Amino acid sequence: MTETVLATVGRLGGPGEWAGRLSLDIDRRAGRSIAVRQFHDGALRIFRPHYLDHTGQVCYTVINPGGAYLGGDKYLIEVDVAGGADLLLTTQAATKVYRTPGSRAEQHQHLRLGAASRLELLPDPLIAYRQASYGQVTTVDMDPTASLVMAEVVTPGWSPDGELFRYDEIRMRNEISIDGRLAVLDNLLIRPGSGSPVGGMSFMGRYTHLGSLLVVDARVDAALVDELHGALAGMDPHGQLGITLLDGPGLALRALSVSSEPLNAMLATAVDLLRGRWFGQEPLNLRKY
Amino acid sequence: MNHTLRAYLLPLQQLSDSALPTGAFSHSLGLETSLHRCEVHDELSFADWLTQFIRIQLVHSDGLAIRLAVEAATEPELQRVDRELHAAALPREIREAGVKMGARMLDIALAVVPSPELQLYAAAVARGDCAGHPALAFAVAGKSLGVPLPELLAAYMFATVTSLTQNAIRGIPIGQGAGQRVLAGAHSEVGDGVVRIQALGREDFGVTAPGLEIAQMQHERQRARMFMS
Repeated sequence: MTETVLATVGRLGGPGEWAGRLSLDIDRRAGRSIAVRQFHDGALRIFRPHYLDHTGQVCYTVINPGGAYLGGDKYLIEVDVAGGADLLLTTQAATKVYRTPGSRAEQHQHLRLGAASRLELLPDPLIAYRQASYGQVTTVDMDPTASLVMAEVVTPGWSPDGELFRYDEIRMRNEISIDGRLAVLDNLLIRPGSGSPVGGMSFMGRYTHLGSLLVVDARVDAALVDELHGALAGMDPHGQLGITLLDGPGLALRALSVSSEPLNAMLATAVDLLRGRWFGQEPLNLRKY
Repeated sequence: MNHTLRAYLLPLQQLSDSALPTGAFSHSLGLETSLHRCEVHDELSFADWLTQFIRIQLVHSDGLAIRLAVEAATEPELQRVDRELHAAALPREIREAGVKMGARMLDIALAVVPSPELQLYAAAVARGDCAGHPALAFAVAGKSLGVPLPELLAAYMFATVTSLTQNAIRGIPIGQGAGQRVLAGAHSEVGDGVVRIQALGREDFGVTAPGLEIAQMQHERQRARMFMS
């Protein structure tokens, strides 16, 4: 673990380079997971840890005191989950991206998962406002025995007169390597459609909200993908749910909608099914609202 | 005036033939889901789908992979492109289509251009170090032949566009004349794609869009299918 701590410190960029940065090393102590080292700087903070159940999984909540991401802002989050440790990482509130003239806002996340460790990355939605452009790059380097669940909901912001804002573009790139070998390269370009029935059918069509879930875990198989599809299909109001088996093994889920609720409900159902199935946990209740 | 045929022209034409037995005729790459939803139902709506497919997948996955494979100076660099291309295909059927058509294209390309580079790539696929993909077999063959990159990109993209159009002619269905009009209309889109591919960065590799990906994923569960993807 000492070596890991040093390596993590060494990876951090120089002061002034990031609008906010957060670094967290999670390990297991006396049957519970806990940060053995944490660091934050600029516009990223973290709440004290809490435990939602008796499994020893630690939950940390990231907060952005500034409240929003602006053009040119770059954020860095580094998380190292040591062997056997278990982390649920969430956010206090939605990440809001406002106008980013000239230079997009960016968030870089580097996640390392040791043997038999687990990370659930369940942030609040990303809300992009008019003329917002945002890029998020997440690299995951995981042990084949580790378990990864990461969810994302992207929604447009509302203008004061109740119209949906049209953001420019959101890019979300997830690179997941298992044992140093790239297994999943998820490079999504999210660009609001033209609104016509045909125009942009391969981008967003007439839909405005996107939900995405990636799971990489050795226990995923085709039967689980089928089971999840069966559990979620009835919750998909527009016939815009896709779910597929990844080579990890793992699974990817994408869904489009015109509001957040069905997407949040589908992602929560999928996450809860896995929590119960694999870890004997109750459905997640973050009690944020 | 040069009266000699460029040596790569006929091998390139052979590998770009839409009737090449790679199995492309049985892969719609997500189109069949859009047919099933009636989003694609005629010449115009198919042309629209095709334009988006070129701009998303052909440019950022296959096309950029070809460029990176041609630029790759070493075997490990080529293997990295193969790995990224395979990992970027999240929908299971798209991944499987790449592997299947990749193996066929590799066999055909080896018969046409039995170059040492292509044999090395074939060996890496046989060992399981590479997944294989038609774009990469095509790229390595083209590199061995000395095909200029813009021509190589255009030939591959237009061959794919032609296969998809033949599938649309059968699948929608639309007439052969309509298919040829869509193909003629795709010339400028492919030309723009060739220019774009050469300006892309590594971070653009494998960019896809939600609508296309969901269609490709949903195809797995579609009943009464004409196509394998």
